[in-house]
Amino acid sequence: MALELTPDAPGGAATRLKNVADQLLPYLIAVVVAFIVIGLVIGLMGFDVLTAYSTILFTSFKSKNGLVQTLLKFVPLLLQALAFTVPLAAGKFNIGGEGQMLVGAIGAALAGIIFADWPLVVLLPLVLLASVLCGALWGAIPAWLLYQFNMNEILTTVLLNFISFSLVDYVAVELFRDPAAGHPTTVPIGAGGGLPLLISSPPLHSGLILAILVAAAVYIYTNKTSAGYELVVTGANPRAAGVFGIPVRRVFIASLVIGGMLAGLSGGIEVAGSHHRLIEGMQSNYLLLGIIIGLIAKGNNLAVPFVALFIAILEVGASAMQRTLLIPGEMVFIVEALILLFVLLSDVFKKR
Amino acid sequence: MQAVRKTFGSVAALNEVNLHINRNEIHGLLGGNGAGKTTLMNVLYGLYKPDSGQIWLDGQPVEIHSPRDAIRQGIGMVHQHFLQVDSYTVLENIVLGAAIKNRPTMQLAEAEQRVKALAGRFGLAVNPQATVEDLPMGARQRVEILKALYRGIKILILDEPTTNLTPQEVDSLFESLRVMVSQGMSVVFITHKLGEVMSACDRITVLREGQSVLTLDRAAASPESLVQAMVGDELDVAGSLLFSADKAVGDAPDRTQPPILDLDAVTVRGDNRQPLLQACSLTVYPREIVGIAGVAGNGQRALAESILGLQAPSAGRISIAGTDVAQTPTVKLLEKLVSYIPEDRLQDGFLPSASVGQNLILGRHRREPYSKNGFLNWPVINRAARRLIGEYKIRTLGPDDTGANLSGGNIQRVMIARAFSFPARLVVAHNPTQGLDIPSIEFVFSKLLAHKAAGGATLLISENLDELLLLCDRIATLYRGQIAGILEREAFDKYEIGRLMSGARIDS
Repeated sequence: MALELTPDAPGGAATRLKNVADQLLPYLIAVVVAFIVIGLVIGLMGFDVLTAYSTILFTSFKSKNGLVQTLLKFVPLLLQALAFTVPLAAGKFNIGGEGQMLVGAIGAALAGIIFADWPLVVLLPLVLLASVLCGALWGAIPAWLLYQFNMNEILTTVLLNFISFSLVDYVAVELFRDPAAGHPTTVPIGAGGGLPLLISSPPLHSGLILAILVAAAVYIYTNKTSAGYELVVTGANPRAAGVFGIPVRRVFIASLVIGGMLAGLSGGIEVAGSHHRLIEGMQSNYLLLGIIIGLIAKGNNLAVPFVALFIAILEVGASAMQRTLLIPGEMVFIVEALILLFVLLSDVFKKR
Repeated sequence: MQAVRKTFGSVAALNEVNLHINRNEIHGLLGGNGAGKTTLMNVLYGLYKPDSGQIWLDGQPVEIHSPRDAIRQGIGMVHQHFLQVDSYTVLENIVLGAAIKNRPTMQLAEAEQRVKALAGRFGLAVNPQATVEDLPMGARQRVEILKALYRGIKILILDEPTTNLTPQEVDSLFESLRVMVSQGMSVVFITHKLGEVMSACDRITVLREGQSVLTLDRAAASPESLVQAMVGDELDVAGSLLFSADKAVGDAPDRTQPPILDLDAVTVRGDNRQPLLQACSLTVYPREIVGIAGVAGNGQRALAESILGLQAPSAGRISIAGTDVAQTPTVKLLEKLVSYIPEDRLQDGFLPSASVGQNLILGRHRREPYSKNGFLNWPVINRAARRLIGEYKIRTLGPDDTGANLSGGNIQRVMIARAFSFPARLVVAHNPTQGLDIPSIEFVFSKLLAHKAAGGATLLISENLDELLLLCDRIATLYRGQIAGILEREAFDKYEIGRLMSGARIDS
């Protein structure tokens, strides 16, 4: 796992710059090669390759609308990626990000619907807090199973995703169904539960700032604090961590609960910012993309926001490509997968 | 091997090295860390491709591109870290990767007969049906040698083969090697231990900084001349601690004060309720080094880990400078009271994916000045790490370098640097010099003696009896978790300790 370059590296700024360049080069190559491969495929299918490229890469920057869409995608992607990388630092695999997101969204929606007429200063914090706590709960269940029965967290986090789907159905169909909607959806949350907008048209909510602050906090936690050090050490060698006094099993728990909180918050922001209600299927494929982002960033929490932004750009470009050129948007998923593969391959080559 | 050259980046690991190995001989390859011993043998074994130079085998020039090639040419190698599948049996490990008759059904009876025959012929006793992870180090090494013999090799390369072995195991290994060379094989024995070279090898080649310095017959060699060849001018050989036992010990322990480490009838039980330590009572006073002798696996690890509070005793009491270990979290103990050098540096002490700086603060990461109010102070840590890297001669690019880039000897230096980076009342050192070259061993000894001179207590757990005899004020011997006897320095006697180690006292 890549670790940050500590502040006053020997050799000063020039060496540091060179180090950064050395680390970025494989990424650049990976992206270029992935695009070449996908260009060949698109070309063979008989589409215009250059238009496809420019649509994928530049839709986000061509219009205000594209930019806002990209930033709105960026928020859940960033939080989902962190929900994966924090447990990963401790050597635990959280594959339950979407379950934690949905349960967080349920918590946010319930709080926002039940206390719909409370004012913003009370309701908004309550909605977000509810999402974080519910996400934490959904992360704590696999953590407890791991602690108590040594059950593999990959299995339990994945399985809890399925339970969360049913919970969403229960809330959106049985409890607070919006009869006007054709799709399982709850009634909207109270106006006080919505995140204030940064731009009103097209609407960009302040969850963006919240997510960036959270990402900064996560980076500080994993790289600058003693507790974060214990997390990283536990991931690097749990046995040595234990010998030198680190409560390894408690670190595992903490990492999974924090992962749950982050994913839960992503659900809360979707509810409070974008949808103002709970919608079945709102988890999209954020879980997989989050994992891909975390892995491309090699667990480096400083790199995660940048990778997340890049993937958000690709995602928005992909839907535009599908709309305007009728090229299947799944092509971009292939690009993302190829980038990940090539980044991982570059590690193999470096070791030779 | 003629004029072999191999460079890594801009570093010449091997610079025109010549090595000539005769039939029927054990050839010692001696040299410090980074002298190029292992690199040279990796070239011979086909793991590295030399930049230039030629390898001759039985008068024919040969090219060896891979270990598979090497084995086909009759060259086998036993690495320092065994490449074994822990959960497989001895037999399965031996046949793994070799031609197996009737692969789908794994009918191994015939293979088992061959392994048994080889084991009998060379005196490499091991049960083919035992699971590898249950075996002591000596037996695992015999498995590794059998693996090579099973493939019909003529030249056996052993990389630091005695690192994890007890004296008895070393003796039996040498006997087996003798049988092999008497039957026409050749053995290359990579080591930095003089005693072994002098007792086991027929001829000796010394490498230093990637060059072959000299080749001698054993009769023509002396320990002093070999050390000088190994270290060059780095060390004053005549004045070395290694050759002047009496100077080493320093002042007598201060037993007028209460002991720093006090174990009172401590019993520790393992997972299966089996006792690992039984009613052990032991004290270490200020300015005292107490040695723990014993064959590996007789409770040494349980002793060290119970002192650190990692294994809770089922009976008895441990205190360090008056602090009850049972009442204190390990992190607190590591802050001021104890420094620990673990036995298995890779498993118990090292973080390969973390930076050298992160490795150096492990256990001290909640202590000022490294950490304050829960935040790490990286500038201070990096400064301290750079100081330690310099002082302990850790070969690395700096605090940010990844741990995985360090060699075994340098990893051990990290363990030592970490242990001595803060003063502590008690040092628990478990095989602290394992895998180190002579100047480094000398350095560790001087650190232990400085700790002693400053009034600290040391518990030195070691499988190297010579080391214990050289440094300790008292030696306690562990056998099956019990203290079989404690000898004062005046009464030190290698053979008496050997008897205690083999349980003669307790079992009779």
